[in-house]
Parts: sequence; C-alpha cells; structure tokens
Amino acid sequence: MTPQYQHKLASSFMLWFDNYLLTKGQAYTNTTGLFYNYSDERLPNVYSVFGSPYKQWVSDYSVSGATIPSGVFVGNTFYGRATGANNSSAQRVLDFDNGRALISGLATGSTVTGSFAVKDFNVYYSNDTEEDILVEKKFVVNRRIATDENITYIQPYDQVVPAIYICNAAFQNKPFAFGGMNQTMTNLNAVVITENPYQLDGALSIFADSFNEVIVDVPFDNYPYTEYGDLKSGYYNYQNLKNQYINNNKYFVDKVTTSKMNDKARKSLVNDLYVGFIDFDISMMRYSRN
Amino acid sequence: MAKKVTVQSFQKELTTFIKKEVAKKYSKSFQQRIVTAFNKIRREMLAEFRNHPITVEIKNGPFAENSSGTLGGYGNLFSFIGFDEGTDPTENIEGLLSLTRIEYNREAKDGFIMTIYMPTKEEIFKDTPMPWAKGRSWAEGIERGISGFGQYLNTENIATYEDRIGSGQGVQANSVIRGGKFKNTSYISALIKKYLKRFQQINNSVVVSGIL
Repeated sequence: MTPQYQHKLASSFMLWFDNYLLTKGQAYTNTTGLFYNYSDERLPNVYSVFGSPYKQWVSDYSVSGATIPSGVFVGNTFYGRATGANNSSAQRVLDFDNGRALISGLATGSTVTGSFAVKDFNVYYSNDTEEDILVEKKFVVNRRIATDENITYIQPYDQVVPAIYICNAAFQNKPFAFGGMNQTMTNLNAVVITENPYQLDGALSIFADSFNEVIVDVPFDNYPYTEYGDLKSGYYNYQNLKNQYINNNKYFVDKVTTSKMNDKARKSLVNDLYVGFIDFDISMMRYSRN
Repeated sequence: MAKKVTVQSFQKELTTFIKKEVAKKYSKSFQQRIVTAFNKIRREMLAEFRNHPITVEIKNGPFAENSSGTLGGYGNLFSFIGFDEGTDPTENIEGLLSLTRIEYNREAKDGFIMTIYMPTKEEIFKDTPMPWAKGRSWAEGIERGISGFGQYLNTENIATYEDRIGSGQGVQANSVIRGGKFKNTSYISALIKKYLKRFQQINNSVVVSGIL
C-alpha cells in the first residue's frame, strides 16, 4: 500500500511536534555517562548492545545547544558510527530511540561512554486508547539522578516517562471549494505523563501556544530514522528538511485545547504521575479523491 | 425665522409621521407575534435537548442502559464518562439553553428590530467539564470522541450496575465493566446550528450567538 493521508500526517506531525517541544521549551538535558552491556534477541547477533540509562536522545541538529552524538568512546577511542564520523564503521549504530549503541564485534566487557542530549519528554505515537495508556501501561522513569547507585540501562522497548503519547483520534472531510477540494479535519490527542506538575504545566503551555502553526508535509519516504532508530544519512535537521518541502501542501493547527487530570482521578492511577491532555484539531485543504 | 415648507418636504414629513403612527399602533401586536414565535421555537429547542438520546441516557444515571447506542449497547454513558452518582451533568446545558432570550432592540424603517440571544456551542462546551479533567468538555467529546478513562474511576457505580444486571459474580472492588468502543454522535453543535437557523427565520429579528 502506498502511504496515505493518515500516514503522511502522522510522520509529519511527529517530526514537527518533537522539534517544537525541543526548540520552544529547550526540553532536553545534555549529559555524559557510562553505557551498560545487555543482550537483545531482536537484534542480529553481530551487534554488542550498550545501553545508556536514558531513552530517546535528541537527534535533530536544528535544536541549538543539544549534544547530538555521532559515536561513543570505547575506553579512550572514539567509535564513530556508519556515516562518516571519525573512525566510522558501517557496523556501528546509534539507536536514538532506545538510547543505546550497537557495535559490531565489541567485547561485552568493554567500557563504553558517550555524550548526548536526552529529551525531557519521550514522544510516542500510539494506537492505544487514552485509558489503555493510563491504566494498563507500567512506566519506567528516565533516570535523572547520576548519583543513583543502582543506575543501569533501561530495558529495550520499554516506554519511559516523562512521555507524551500522540493518538490519532478521528478524521473527517468537509466540502471546502468547487472542484472537489475538501477540508480534512483530524483530531490528534496527546496524553502527557510527567513526574511533577512543573513538567506538565510546561508541556501544556508550550503546545497551548501552537495554534495557528503550520506543519509542512514531509514525504513519508523522507522520515529520517532507520529501523534501528538511527539516522538514515547520519544527519538530521528538521528545519532543513522542512525547507526542502516548503511548497508542499501544509497542515494547519486549527485549535489546541489543553487540560489536566484532576488530583482525585490522578490518585486512582497505579503510578504516582501527573497527567494532562493536549487536543489538536489539524486541518488540510486537499483534493481527497485524487 | 420661520421654517420654509415646500410641498415635497411636507409630503415627506407626513409620510414619516404616518409610518411612525402605524408602527406604534401595530408594533405591540407585531412584537407579540414575534415573541410568540420565539417562545414556540425555544420550547421546541429545550424539548429536543431533553429528549435527545444522549441527554436521556445521562439523565438516567449510572444504572441506565446504553439506549443511545454510543457504546454498542454495553455499559452506559454516565459511568463511561465517570460522573459522580447523584449529579445531573445535563443540567448545565439546559440552564444555558434556557437563557436564550428575546429583547426589543431598536426602531427600524419598517417598525422595529428584536434581538435574540442564544448560547454558542463553545459556551456550552466550556460549561460541561469532564469530571476528571476540567479543561475537556464531555459534551464536545460526545461529538468528537471521548476517552473511557472515567469508567475506571467510579467503580462503585459500575459494581452496582454489575450487581443489578445479575451477573452472579458479586461486587468486585476495582472491577470495571468496560463499555464498547465509543461511537461519536452529533449532539450540541447540531442542535445549536438547527435552532440558530430557526430563530433567524423569525421576521424583524436578528440572532446574536453568545449569551455570556
């Protein structure tokens, strides 16, 4: 199946959302640390896996001030990844999503360290309903305190908080102009889960101000990540990518409503976390029958 | 100096005078007719709201059946949204709709203009907060999709419901009868749109959206 409207919206929206949060809110923390070896049966055997205690590193070079890693240190030697970095090799991967380095042939006992910017909010696109996210998921907290003696990697594919889950709620077409042009209205809901009210208020405030923003339609094929969570070309800059497609049809953020879960409801959750909601109304004028 | 009177100016003044006198004489009955038409439509609007399947189901509280069909026949909206037992969340909407009013506004060429004030859907959405997230509107959620998180909060209501339908499983703390997948349906927006149009059809009146 070729990519459809919903696919394109989802990928373009995710890229915009991440960039907006990171740039407007400077919602990242530069950090340095030790990586921990573990095995991941989902990966080819050639890779030794070294995970950091954080998930979702910043990969967007347009986020000013953020440390975007191009490799890791093994002892004192820099191991660049596949794409032209110093001492690079095609058999090295940085998995930005899971916050880890996959290095072919490296002894599991090696000392691996690295510098990177970790997102203050992990962002996920989810098919789950809000109630499933809030009630059924068990969350791991991104480690923030470097002095924690039990500090280690986070299990691969676990979802960690603070996090924002974006769910595609519904969409409908309304006639807009002669000639078959429709206004496609899409409701996207984001569930914001944080450790404290400061983070929650921050995220809600940033996106409450995002109404009337315009989101460029980035072709589905140009999504910058590989199946391993690394950058396809080793370099990703949202502003540059967006400018390449500036003449494409655009999504318009018609309306944004933010709200917080009240304390009574919050206390009924298994996790002691703070929850908020961002409801986006996104529209695009398009010839949906073409 | 005396004002110069021409035949034309005299005719003009006479016409204006007659128009005013006629308008005065008949304005009361015109007004009455307009007010009567307004009251009839207003009553119909309130009745349509009260008899709307969503309103009826929510008014019936935590023991209602899903008569609106929005949950595929499972559970009920009151528990699904998570309202507290003993409350009637539709009262706020009815209260706002009841504020729809008509006022004598100003004189016009052919008599007068009456102004009708009615609530906007945004005013109603603002006054219908979700019980667990005040910034969200349950009335808007009915139209655009609503989270079923509330069903996890009022376990007491749900357990009682379970007991009532005779499941034989007894009342389990923290148990939840999960509603079906929520199906959006038209509600307040359609009602407001319909009656805005009806009010606009009343002669000699202008309709103003927004009462707050």
